[in-house]
Amino acid sequence: MSTVVPPRVRALLAGVSWPVYVLLYTPLVLVAYYSFATASGYSAAAYGILFTDGEVGAALRRSLILALGSATVSTALGTLLGYGLCRFRVANARGFLANMPSLIIYTPIIMPSLVFGLSEQLSFNLVHNATGLLGAGLGTMVIAHITFQVPYVALTVFARLSGLDPNLFEASHDLYADGVKSFFYLIVPVVQPAIVGGFLLGITLSIDDFTISFFTSGPGSTTLPIYIYSAIARKGISPEINALGTLMIATIIVIAVAHFFINRHRERASQLPV
Amino acid sequence: MKTAVQGEARSRAIRLWITSGPGLFWVILFLLIPSVVLLGIGFFSADDYGGPTMPLSIQPFQQVAGFSLLGWDDGNIIIFLRSLEQAGIATVVTALLSYPIVFFIMTRPESVRPLLLLFIILPSWTNQVVRTYAWLELLGPNAPVTYVAHALGIVPPDLGIAPGQFAVTTGLAYNYLPYMIVPLYASAEKLDWNLVEAGRDLYASGFRLFWHSVFPQTLPGLLSGIIFVAIPAFGDYVVPQLLGGDKALMIGSLIANQFTETPDWPYGAALTIIMLVFTGVGLVAFRILSRRMGGAGEATI
Repeated sequence: MSTVVPPRVRALLAGVSWPVYVLLYTPLVLVAYYSFATASGYSAAAYGILFTDGEVGAALRRSLILALGSATVSTALGTLLGYGLCRFRVANARGFLANMPSLIIYTPIIMPSLVFGLSEQLSFNLVHNATGLLGAGLGTMVIAHITFQVPYVALTVFARLSGLDPNLFEASHDLYADGVKSFFYLIVPVVQPAIVGGFLLGITLSIDDFTISFFTSGPGSTTLPIYIYSAIARKGISPEINALGTLMIATIIVIAVAHFFINRHRERASQLPV
Repeated sequence: MKTAVQGEARSRAIRLWITSGPGLFWVILFLLIPSVVLLGIGFFSADDYGGPTMPLSIQPFQQVAGFSLLGWDDGNIIIFLRSLEQAGIATVVTALLSYPIVFFIMTRPESVRPLLLLFIILPSWTNQVVRTYAWLELLGPNAPVTYVAHALGIVPPDLGIAPGQFAVTTGLAYNYLPYMIVPLYASAEKLDWNLVEAGRDLYASGFRLFWHSVFPQTLPGLLSGIIFVAIPAFGDYVVPQLLGGDKALMIGSLIANQFTETPDWPYGAALTIIMLVFTGVGLVAFRILSRRMGGAGEATI
């Protein structure tokens, strides 16, 4: 297929693409550069300040609790949701009630995160004023993060299941597996990659998000992105903020690249003739 | 016989609710009801603290249109148009960059393609605040690029490129580029190269060959990409907040201000309704347009 593309065009494609790749990483590299560069030369002092700062440590801990906690719950809810819709929904049904699940699943995906965040802030606020429950804090943030992750997990699991041979379900039924058994012995092993993928996607979405976290957070629930945002709003960019940014960027890149190569290695290994 | 069929349908429905119920219920409880509450507030009056109060009123919508005690003001209309413009430019820029990048990746050896794609997506996995403020290092008042702009007289001395409109457009395009590339790549992977070769055999070349053989085949991907970029870019909050400043205010910041700095919930809710109406109308118009152009076939649940 690539033989169709003449060398002149290939050179042009490369000529546009490589600069874009460079541009994608220039701002991130500059963040790292300015975390070391000071007026009097280069030093790692900013990192020292960062590690002794209790506030940053607490923010990191909250970010991790938020990402792992919300991804765990949303994986459970999303897996069941994707499974149920794939297995038990009447196909091609018409009418509002039959199409309601799709509507519900796509709302969090299509809704701008600002509207999402504000709606939740407002409603938590109203509920809190009326009952004293749901005060703004890490708890409300976890609820909000679960809400935007559930549809993505459900779609991932749904996509994997709809690619399966329907006879598998018949076969498990013929072997006297009831619903619960066939769920744990057939569905879970088969969709395990999708469940793991959904969980990782949930963590990624949680780490990426700022807007929804910002509007559902309370005074004592500053996470890393909120800490950075308010530090910049208060006193501009400092070497410490750059050091923190560098660590966050580096962590994501290392995990993503490692995950990529481990997966590729596994795939290659599984393709070897036995 | 009939009862057995009915019984099966019923047990199927029960299973559907046992499995799907909790997830659906969660989204209804924590998103659909809250958003209805938010939108509903747009039809109330504001009390002294900006909270909603009776009686019902259309005053919030008059405020959105620019009417206040001081008369009519075009500020809001300018902000709406600016948001449309920024989202539009960002969408066009990402689309124009995505085609060469997607086909650059496609023409590389198969083993490096996933890696090249990964490095396009990777920045979007970092936190949005971090990757957005990173542009201040490049375009801020004391950044190297800004010195060049000073020397060329594009930007007045002492000011940066950021905060400003150009920085916002750049930031939006940077943030949403992967959202355009991924769907476009997915449809380019399914491209039937025989059609391209057939076109070449018929002596089409260069742009004509691309326009008649490649472009129609990648149209579904492009159309999904446009939706994935334009909608979030229009209502983005972080980018205009960090890179925009007062002169490049977008609809997202305007809405957020009504709930934070100078509270006026009904006005903020009315702004939100108008923003969602814009988005919805855009989506519907776009769907009709894409059906006409033959770009159907999106994956749906």
